[in-house]
Amino acid sequence: MANNNFDAIVIGSGISGGWAAKEFCEKGLKTLVLERGRNVVHNKDYPTTNMMPWEFKHRGQIPEDIAEKNPSIARCYAYREDAMHFFVKDTDHPYVQDKPFDWIRGYQVGGKSIMWARQTQRWSDYDFDGPVRDGYAVDWPIRYKDLAPWYSYVETFAGISGHRDGLPNLPDGEFLPALDLSCVENYFKDFIAKTYNDRHVIYARCAHVTEPQPIHLKQGRGQCQKRTLCQRGCPFGGYFNSNSTTIPWAANTGNMTLRPFSVVESIIYDDKKGRATGVRVIDTNTKEQAEFYAPVIFVNAAALNTNLILLNSTSSRFPNGLGNDNGLLGKYVAFHNYRGHISAVHHGHLDSTTDGRSPTSAYIPRFRNVFKQETDFLRGYAAGFSANRWGGGRKAEGFGVALKENLMKKPELGPWFVGSHMMGETIPKETNFVSLDKTQKDEWGMPLLKINVGYDDNDEKMLKDFFDQLTEMYTKAGFTDIRTGDSKQAPGLDIHEMGGIRMGKDPKTSLLNEWNQLHACKNVFVTDGACMTSTSTQNPSLTYMALTARAVDHAVSELKKNQL
Amino acid sequence: MNRRTVIKSILFVSAGASLIPACMNDKGKASFLLKNITVGGDEEKMLADLCETIIPATTGVPGAKELSSHLFALTMIDECMPKEGQQKFMKGLTAFETLVKQRYSKDFTLCTAEQKTALLTDIEQKKNIPAEVNDFYGIVKRFTIQSFTTSQYFLTKVQVYELVPGRYHGCVPVKTA
Repeated sequence: MANNNFDAIVIGSGISGGWAAKEFCEKGLKTLVLERGRNVVHNKDYPTTNMMPWEFKHRGQIPEDIAEKNPSIARCYAYREDAMHFFVKDTDHPYVQDKPFDWIRGYQVGGKSIMWARQTQRWSDYDFDGPVRDGYAVDWPIRYKDLAPWYSYVETFAGISGHRDGLPNLPDGEFLPALDLSCVENYFKDFIAKTYNDRHVIYARCAHVTEPQPIHLKQGRGQCQKRTLCQRGCPFGGYFNSNSTTIPWAANTGNMTLRPFSVVESIIYDDKKGRATGVRVIDTNTKEQAEFYAPVIFVNAAALNTNLILLNSTSSRFPNGLGNDNGLLGKYVAFHNYRGHISAVHHGHLDSTTDGRSPTSAYIPRFRNVFKQETDFLRGYAAGFSANRWGGGRKAEGFGVALKENLMKKPELGPWFVGSHMMGETIPKETNFVSLDKTQKDEWGMPLLKINVGYDDNDEKMLKDFFDQLTEMYTKAGFTDIRTGDSKQAPGLDIHEMGGIRMGKDPKTSLLNEWNQLHACKNVFVTDGACMTSTSTQNPSLTYMALTARAVDHAVSELKKNQL
Repeated sequence: MNRRTVIKSILFVSAGASLIPACMNDKGKASFLLKNITVGGDEEKMLADLCETIIPATTGVPGAKELSSHLFALTMIDECMPKEGQQKFMKGLTAFETLVKQRYSKDFTLCTAEQKTALLTDIEQKKNIPAEVNDFYGIVKRFTIQSFTTSQYFLTKVQVYELVPGRYHGCVPVKTA
């Protein structure tokens, strides 16, 4: 490429990078989008999307030699034969676990937006106020009012299905129609509403086009067909991913240059100019280095890799990593505590069942410590809730014709099975951090990331409370055979790792300002999970999208004023 | 790609159709390449017979042989089972062959239908059956059932799998049919 100069550079093409690409390109900036993995073109590169169950050699299972060599990725619920090609194998991209951490990654255009769980709940001021009210981390430099119009902006474009619930702690958004809840999900919703003042069960808002609007048709997307095979990529564009939505939209402007197979080694900082001037890239195939330049750089490499890039971007001005004057880069990493789950059986509503498949379920917004501190632990948890009726197991006794006839009989419907999993806020701490390994490098010469992130006493107390409260709610609702379980899973498997480059008001205690700019290097922006000051309990992607669109808008207006 | 690999991929692409040429069934060698376990051609034939005894062909409905259930079982054991499971399978296979020889002085494939039925009845009821044989039988039966209930036949004719349901109704009356 002769011309290595662009108006903007976006590092990463996942859920937030895709948004940065779209926003810059739409505003007329020649934008280079760097992606470390291969290209994945919507529909063209979804090899398993229309495969039938019998066409999978191992009927969905991961071969044992792969699972054995790649224990972290093999623990991911979505790492199955139909979507394994979208996930990174541990062995292909090693990292150092100072404490157990299952780092789940997707290195391709679209990143993890291809396989995400598509849950999209807004934050409220009860979330943004958390750190300052409860005295942890640092105060968020923004509040709900700053983000609300941007939530609306991204929801309208992405297509979010939801029900307007009118809850102050989970604000309503721009919703496409909600799908059904199941009979027993509705029963539990009504039961909880009349039994508790402060607890609610709602339809989980999700990034599915339940009724396409002109904007979705313009994107080439259609109605969700309830296949529930989203992790393979959707031929209908029924759910939001970068590949079907933001990336082609950016490409259609003619302003995007997409460069796959490009690992960003570092961001180039010019001491004389006092700003970042571009990025150093390693071609993953040829291992050749190249440099690209632009007046503004967005880092959207996914939370921990964004930390890695900044830590590796050293200069005489920033010997400890770009923007790292206070030594806090890589610190205050947090995640969501997904260890707790609870299941039960419901013997009512036996005259009813469900028909078809639902890509979402019900959601229990955080009800602990929302309006005031009320427990011996900080913050709280949200929970999923689903109730389905499955056919009882097939009778597999005996052999021969009798067995075969049993297998061919329609299994009798069992009772309703209900279940919840917790999504707990974890408290960002200086002792939960990532750093660069001093000796080990990967095959492109990048230092390996060392991850030192663990649970604490607050997480244990919260887990117990989740079991107690959900058991109480289930018992009151008449559910039986209640079982709680602690998966004891390592951090990371929640795939909600956040922080390390947190936003804040004070450059002494944070890395990014209220516009996601590095305090010390204003033309570098971080708008993926790395920017999160605290985690609250909502699935975070929608917030990254809104923060990204807002930050690009600010960046472009600053560029126009020559203030970057 | 060598010949065996080609044939193997044809086998799986064709989803259970019987495409194994007779020349592949030479003694001593399995008809396709196994990575972790060693199974000979005779043993493969025996497994095909055993699977067919577990789920036999009936009028209009394919049985295990036609669905190549034994090849599916071998693939799953070879590629998706932890080492301990593979060892259990291999030990049990030998124990099973020994048991058949002791009882009928011949190989399983040469047994009459009555003999096969009598033997499997005893195994199902665990009547003086060595633990290794129970393990082996359990593994083979599990994969035979999986092969049947996830076959194209089953998922298009018995319990229809919908790739594109296009609908979700959260509350419908249970059909009493």
